[in-house]
Amino acid sequence: MKKLVSLLIVLVLALGLVSAACAEEPVKVCIVFSGLLGDKSYNDSCMEGANRAVEDFGIELKTLEGTEATEWEQNFLFACEEGYDLVICSSSNFEEYMKEHCANYPDVKFAIIDTTVPGDNICSISFAQNQGSFLAGACAALLTQHTEIPGINEDKIIGWVGGMDIPVLHDFFVGYEQGAKYIDPDIQVLQSFAGTWVDPLKGKELTLSQYDLGADVVMNVASGTGNGVLEGAKEAGHFAIGVDLNQDADQPGAVFTSMVKRVDTACYLLIESVVKDTFAGGTTEYLDLAKGGVSLTDMAVIREALGDQFPEDIPEKIAELNDKIVSGEIVVENYEGFGPAK
Amino acid sequence: MLGRIFTPSLIYATIRSATPILYAALCASITQQANILNIGTEGIMLMGAFFGVAVSYLTGSWLLAVLVAMASGAAMAMIIAVGHIKYQADNCAIGMGVNLFAVAMTKFLLNSVLGKNGTFTDPNLAGIPKLHFGFLSGDGFLNTVLNDWSITEWFVIALVLLISFLFYKTAWGLRLRAVGRMQQAAQTAGINVNSMKYQAILIAGLIGGLAGAHLSLGYSKMFTESMTNGRGFMGVAAMYFGAANPLLTAVGCLVFGLADSVGARLQPFGVPSQVILLMPYVVTVTVLAISLIIDKKRRDARKSSLVSAGVK
Repeated sequence: MKKLVSLLIVLVLALGLVSAACAEEPVKVCIVFSGLLGDKSYNDSCMEGANRAVEDFGIELKTLEGTEATEWEQNFLFACEEGYDLVICSSSNFEEYMKEHCANYPDVKFAIIDTTVPGDNICSISFAQNQGSFLAGACAALLTQHTEIPGINEDKIIGWVGGMDIPVLHDFFVGYEQGAKYIDPDIQVLQSFAGTWVDPLKGKELTLSQYDLGADVVMNVASGTGNGVLEGAKEAGHFAIGVDLNQDADQPGAVFTSMVKRVDTACYLLIESVVKDTFAGGTTEYLDLAKGGVSLTDMAVIREALGDQFPEDIPEKIAELNDKIVSGEIVVENYEGFGPAK
Repeated sequence: MLGRIFTPSLIYATIRSATPILYAALCASITQQANILNIGTEGIMLMGAFFGVAVSYLTGSWLLAVLVAMASGAAMAMIIAVGHIKYQADNCAIGMGVNLFAVAMTKFLLNSVLGKNGTFTDPNLAGIPKLHFGFLSGDGFLNTVLNDWSITEWFVIALVLLISFLFYKTAWGLRLRAVGRMQQAAQTAGINVNSMKYQAILIAGLIGGLAGAHLSLGYSKMFTESMTNGRGFMGVAAMYFGAANPLLTAVGCLVFGLADSVGARLQPFGVPSQVILLMPYVVTVTVLAISLIIDKKRRDARKSSLVSAGVK
């Protein structure tokens, strides 16, 4: 009897093995985040793309979040070890870990969004955030001239609040400042960093202090910290500019427009390339204004909120600048180390 | 440049950034008087912040939200109390445990109760009202400095005075300090030491919960995972600076608040952000060092007078 039972068990197990081998294994993808999901910004945008890929391709998805550098490295190494087909590093915070460890896992495909990391098994996708920010800066500079709108003062000062002081944020700022100065060379652009992606109260405090210094429009590039920037704008009765996702409706009437960065598209394309086996290591993709990688929103929310006072000349001018950048008439500068691959 | 930084609005900005730390510091100083180091302040605050937002959203009443937040703070504090008093657990270990528990628990509850990840904001969230005094609006200076404080920002001033009174002018305060200074002597004098400790931790929990509610409903109107971001620890540092005396502690908190607000105004003038972001911590270390030196001098002075008295 005992023998029979053990024989049966062996049979069942063997059958299980065979059937497991026959069933097509879904592609396993792991995304590591520097920060938390639910930031209504960068990370959520990335997740949107991943969720679309889950629906379209039935991949198996794992996400790892972390708020501090020590957690990021831990999460990243965990992802390397666990046998995923594709490991997506969602931000440039992972650059150093990838340089150090990717070569040790030649069978794993790696991807990084928002910066370029060399390596045979790494695919990089970055954005022309400088071009999008140019438009945002121009928009802010135009808005600060409309002193008839409540919340806009006489001072020619606009603001900008960033999360951590990392190179990619300077690429934003370079474009923002250039865009503002293109409209009005006399304009002053205030810059502050919160030093964290996850402290909205800090973001709010920095924003309110920029308003105190005379700014009336503040752009945030700060993931979770940025929620405080938008709240500060609403509370102080001034304006903010959103980033990454369309944040116009987060604080209706206070967010003038958002500089949308299609992190979702980047994430989706990366997963698609692995599913369709077109993944090419050592390549870089640069999503710019012309490719739809970055853009401003249609300002529908603020148009409704301001009603008759909405300055119609701003979207017209932005559309004109957009065409000039795409045609190459305006060349937006990059921060050192960014820009299309040469 | 200085003229643009040191404006009347800086005064309110200082108080605004100091208030959450001050609540945390009061939470820590009450237990400190009973010689219990309250490392768990951060976790108590975070729990309060979550329950404040959750109840405000679900019921639409900010007052109820604040009360529930205080109750949740008290519940967290009771974990510390039972662990420390009944089971003799180490303060620091159980405090850190509470902090980690709060981070994970609020993350879980945010997802399961409010159905969100990371951040929760909603236009229907009832925040703690801000007080606007019509008769001050006429005066530009007073309007900037004193108007539109949230109720909890006014309340903290009353709380500092109230707790000072409690510590130094009531029998309860005397007993509490006796327990902290020398437990055996207090016991001999007939004070129920454990009961005093429970009471101290319970009150600390209520204040810690209020600190959290102020953070998520007064200072801002949102909840974000780990939104305390070290403010509880800053409070503990301020408590040390003031040697658990509420008034001195409040001074310490205002120093932090000022450092933070001046920093926020300096950044746009091109001072590197890394230097500015270092400031609160440099101030923390400096302030602690100064307070320890003063404390040591005082103790030395007392010792020498005792010795010389013995010689005579």
